[in-house]
Amino acid sequence: MSTINFTQVAKTYGDVRALDRVDLTVREGEFVALLGPSGCGKSTLLNLVAGFEKLSEGTMSFDGRPVTKPGPDRGVVFQEAALLPWLSVWENVVFGPKVQRISRAEYEPRATEILRIVGLENFHAALPVQLSGGMRQRVGIARAFVMQPRALLMDEPFGALDAQTRLSMQALLLDVWQSLKTTVLFVTHDIDEAILLADRVCVMTARPGRITRDIPITLPRPRTLDALTSAEFTRFKAEIMAEMRGVH
Amino acid sequence: MLNARWAKSGLAMLLPIVLIVLWQLAGHDGALAGGALPTPDRVWKAWLIWGFGTPGPMSLSPYIGNWIDAVAFSSFRVAKGFAMAIVVGIPLGIVLGWSKLAAALVDPTIQWLRPIPITAWLPISIAIYGISDFGAIFLIAIGAFYPIVVNTTQGARDVDKTWIRAALMMGASKIDILRRVVLPAALPAVFTGLRIGLGIAWTAVIVAEIVAVKSGLGYVLWDAYYVGRMDIVIADMVSIGLFGFMSDWAIVQLEFALLRWRRLQSFNA
Repeated sequence: MSTINFTQVAKTYGDVRALDRVDLTVREGEFVALLGPSGCGKSTLLNLVAGFEKLSEGTMSFDGRPVTKPGPDRGVVFQEAALLPWLSVWENVVFGPKVQRISRAEYEPRATEILRIVGLENFHAALPVQLSGGMRQRVGIARAFVMQPRALLMDEPFGALDAQTRLSMQALLLDVWQSLKTTVLFVTHDIDEAILLADRVCVMTARPGRITRDIPITLPRPRTLDALTSAEFTRFKAEIMAEMRGVH
Repeated sequence: MLNARWAKSGLAMLLPIVLIVLWQLAGHDGALAGGALPTPDRVWKAWLIWGFGTPGPMSLSPYIGNWIDAVAFSSFRVAKGFAMAIVVGIPLGIVLGWSKLAAALVDPTIQWLRPIPITAWLPISIAIYGISDFGAIFLIAIGAFYPIVVNTTQGARDVDKTWIRAALMMGASKIDILRRVVLPAALPAVFTGLRIGLGIAWTAVIVAEIVAVKSGLGYVLWDAYYVGRMDIVIADMVSIGLFGFMSDWAIVQLEFALLRWRRLQSFNA
């Protein structure tokens, strides 16, 4: 069953065509990466699924229904975490369950468990400003997972992190995803990141924003960071780089 | 840490002490400016009698042992008027900052009424409420309302878009967003408005008590001037400064407690 479905979708801002005739299907449990240069509309595409923006042409559905507004069935992980700075780590993570009027008895064990998985069990009371960028993004991921969303929408979540931290966050995401198998739409401009994480890499070009190639990544699962140095990985990378160079 | 705090308090006291000493030295026989102003020692004596004296059956002075009454009248008026300004100003500011329609409807009127100083509201206040407590409270509320509503509106308007998106994504309703995102995000600006508003509230209470009521520090200030008691006038002024300062300090303490997140972010932390 498909979770996310785009058919001939376009998005224009005034005269600017940010997205043009995009077709994309993401099946349930699939990890799809949208890869492209900045300004290619990949974040716009994600914002459409999230319900933050409205499309101009075409049709789009999530779980078989058109998207009208944001909601907890689509957990979003933002570029720089976008945590509420006046709330502690714990309060940020349970914000969703709380506003959804879920009982404390139900969300408390879940939030505790997720904070343990992302390695923040000792930071419940910390404020976001007291955390490093990587730790803040761990909270951002925990905040999305605690809602048990049908899909996770990640908008360059590790783009602002240093190389070392980025690797450990990628390893963490692989671990978590491989045990939960949530549908993921992942926006990135980092080729290695896209190949390492995704089942499929959709390569996008800018002006107008379009998906030019849809490449299945057949690297075996479960993956670890070791995949980054395998011969197969290099082959995928060569193919994607050729694609990205070719269309420029 | 403790030493640093003491050093800071010492520095704060230095200038007032120098000014008082100069003032004392400038006078002769307890007076200066050709007899128009008393020296600090005279003010202090009058203040002590105003504060702790017991009026005898024959005493003519109205300034014996009733300082605390004047302070209480003024403070309660400020508290009531300021509370009214908060109760109306903060929710209205949040709504004006959040809703473009509400802002288009109400904001121009606020901006247009705002330049009218509270002194200009005096005739209307007296015409409606007469020489009454509520007339004074009404003026204080009007004076404090504008800075509170304007700053809250600004704060609510500047809320980071991704915070709102994050809250929507987590299933927050409109009310949740106003209460749990817009209000806390606007709080630093709200406190700016509260501090300016409180300053205006103290101005307003003195003006109102000079003109529209017969009690409080403002009434005593003008009454003492009429009977030539400049020692009481000055003791009264210092009292206003003291209570204005203490009420501002209380707000700063509240801000300190509520905006820890903001403080940790700032450069001067």
